[in-house]
Amino acid sequence: NKDLFVLTYGALVAQLCKDYEKDEDVNQYLDKMGYGIGTRLVEDFLARSCVGRCHSYSEIIDIIAQVAFKMYLGITPSVTCNNSSKNEFSLILEKNPLVEFVEELPAGRSSLCYCNLLCGIIRGALEMVHLAADVTFLQDRLKGDSVTEIGITFLKKRDEKKYRGKK
Amino acid sequence: MAVCIAVIAKENYPLYIRSTPTENELKFHYMVHTSLDVVDEKISAMGKALVDQRELYLGLLYPTEDYKVYGYVTNSKVKFVMVVDSSNTALRDNEIRSMFRKLHNSYTDVMCNPFYNPGDRIQAFDNMVTSMMIQVC
Repeated sequence: NKDLFVLTYGALVAQLCKDYEKDEDVNQYLDKMGYGIGTRLVEDFLARSCVGRCHSYSEIIDIIAQVAFKMYLGITPSVTCNNSSKNEFSLILEKNPLVEFVEELPAGRSSLCYCNLLCGIIRGALEMVHLAADVTFLQDRLKGDSVTEIGITFLKKRDEKKYRGKK
Repeated sequence: MAVCIAVIAKENYPLYIRSTPTENELKFHYMVHTSLDVVDEKISAMGKALVDQRELYLGLLYPTEDYKVYGYVTNSKVKFVMVVDSSNTALRDNEIRSMFRKLHNSYTDVMCNPFYNPGDRIQAFDNMVTSMMIQVC
């Protein structure tokens, strides 16, 4: 049952908003927490999903979208590739279960990335399989955009032989 | 047509109150305030034995010459009070019940919002309440 999880996440964000004045601080802490979760979650994910070795960044993103998101949040975002060198991707979430009960961002918090935890999780998980990535929110429904879009940019091109990207 | 809708907290202060005829708002505020006594009377009249079977919908609290006042109380002692035009005889009990149910659902949605502190004034009701005030005409 997802309600408890969604309400817990909401309480977490509300508490962080009370503790820190600036939106950037809240976003940063959400990202840090997500990073901690991601480094641990990836082990659970790899154990449960038994995905094979990936050979390209787009395969990795497909697995994140179709297997990982499905497993942990019950949704399947769609994937688009943003540039021709194939290292920038976007995950587009039509429906985001984490913001189910949130009407809108509170006044004065307009640059709060409510789901920044997700960015941290993805970043942490990728780092544990030796892939450095930059993960941010490109669009956010809570800020008025039509969909929620997470942008993932892979930073260093790893040598193919050392490619242990199993995620 | 509902002319006034109010949500009253457990401590008997209003969380949300809105009325359509914008003149004479004070009269509606006063009516809602006096109806709180009737609500308390109804709640306590149920008695301890019947607490399990107590219904949330309280029904007609009291009629005046122009208006009728209906009440609904939740298990957390949050009260919803609705003032309806007496001239609209087509409004049946079932319709009032469904309006209260909608109000209750919206109230739970507001409570689930992590940025809402229980006890604050409610801002998010306006759309739903406007539709309720126009629709039941």
